[in-house]
Amino acid sequence: MALSFYPGCSLEGMANDYARSITAVFEDLGIDLVEIDDWSCCGSTAAHSLDETMSVALPARNLAAAGEMGLDIVSPCAMCFNRLRYAQLMLKRRSFDIPWQVDTDFAVHDMTRFLAAPDMLAQIRKRVVRPLANLKTVCYYGCQMVRPPSITGYTDFENPQTLDAIMDAVGAQVKDWSYKSTCCGASIGIGRREIRDTLTNRILDKAAHTGAEAIVVSCPLCQANLDTVPRRPGAGRLPVFYFTELMRLAFRPAAEAGWFRAHLTNPLPLLNTKGLVAA
Amino acid sequence: MADTQPSGPNPAVADQFAGRRLIERGHSRFLEHTQNATGIDIGACYQCERCTNACPVARYMDIKPHQVIRYTQLGWREALMHSTTIWVCLSCEMCTTYCPNAVDVAGLINHLRNTAARLPIRPAEKELAQFHQIFLEELRRFGRVNELWLMATFNRRPAILKKKLKDGSLKEDLSLGFNLWRRGRLKLLPHRSRGIGEIRKLYRHRRGESD
Ligand code: SF4
Ligand code: SF4
Repeated sequence: MALSFYPGCSLEGMANDYARSITAVFEDLGIDLVEIDDWSCCGSTAAHSLDETMSVALPARNLAAAGEMGLDIVSPCAMCFNRLRYAQLMLKRRSFDIPWQVDTDFAVHDMTRFLAAPDMLAQIRKRVVRPLANLKTVCYYGCQMVRPPSITGYTDFENPQTLDAIMDAVGAQVKDWSYKSTCCGASIGIGRREIRDTLTNRILDKAAHTGAEAIVVSCPLCQANLDTVPRRPGAGRLPVFYFTELMRLAFRPAAEAGWFRAHLTNPLPLLNTKGLVAA
Repeated sequence: MADTQPSGPNPAVADQFAGRRLIERGHSRFLEHTQNATGIDIGACYQCERCTNACPVARYMDIKPHQVIRYTQLGWREALMHSTTIWVCLSCEMCTTYCPNAVDVAGLINHLRNTAARLPIRPAEKELAQFHQIFLEELRRFGRVNELWLMATFNRRPAILKKKLKDGSLKEDLSLGFNLWRRGRLKLLPHRSRGIGEIRKLYRHRRGESD
């Protein structure tokens, strides 16, 4: 099976740990990820906020390139996923003029939903060598992957399940909580830091309160935000994993997973006490 | 999450509003124009305030989401253009998702933000507006956006540099940057897209320039 892969800008920088774990996991699953040739930025929040037309035109360039490949797109980043889906919908409705011929007859998946399909979950379960039993997690989806449902296609937007199902398949304990898709405020973290700090700290507090030992995410912005936000003195931190990092840990317990070193909140002590990495 | 208690009126905004409610009689066609441009049924709102209650940042806004709808109905365009709301909104889509009348509140706020960005007015949240602009400028330069270069370009703006030096946040930025670099999370050199020509052409067309 092959998919066209739109990594997005974050995966070249801040989230290169995510990128590396994705490559490893898809290799294990035997699925080819073909990177869209010379992809460019989707415009993210900026294009959407300042110029709606650009927020369709910029993703359209990538949709056009993917269309030529004739494969479904999978996107690991919540923001890119949202922008690609939005642009695809607008192009189908012919609401905007763009300079490319875009054939929009392919699906744009977010990576978690693609992997949470029943047959994929069965594949994942088959590859688990060491289940992550005892690891208590909460899954955090953020906003852009699930909302608005008319764009993302999530019908369970109030209580999304894709990450939960994947974590369950690799044997981790998944706790239910009500902050799964509460916004972390990453998009205004630069200009209004104190708002971002308030929103993100609340999510970290609630996760700890739920009894989780780690937070599992799929969005590079959420990860960066939850992992680096200043905490008030005394409040603890939880390691924030990309779901693919934990999948790989269950698939190949002995393999060297260099990407854990990229985290600001060191996850190794936790994995160590759970007997999931060698001391 | 009923975080809607006002954080106290921002004096600058209070000033700006002094008398406005009486003076701004409203643009009579604003509602119609906005509905036509966005396809949003703004008249369907019955002011239940569910959008505002769902909004994670309503307390930081001078005009709350349900009031944005009301202001639009009344044609109070200037107040909306000068509001903090249009810049503080996170586009998290909670409001739209929970509106019982399917009013696309987030879409309306985004449309207002788009409109304000084209007007020669000083945005109420200057740094938020500037950050978006710098992001698009970086995208035009390279075709992809490099986080390190984005932050460096942003922090190099004199006004921002001055503020960050004063409140100590530049030091925080640098120490975070150093930590991230040590962990291999910063890409030092930006990647330039081969298709940069096509992308710049898009920008020129949007600015009404020819090829
Ligand atoms: S939730 Fe909908 S109907 Fe209620 S105040 Fe907001 S826009 Fe109006
Ligand atoms: S989209 Fe904006 S107005 Fe709507 S809930 Fe989110 S932050 Fe509030």
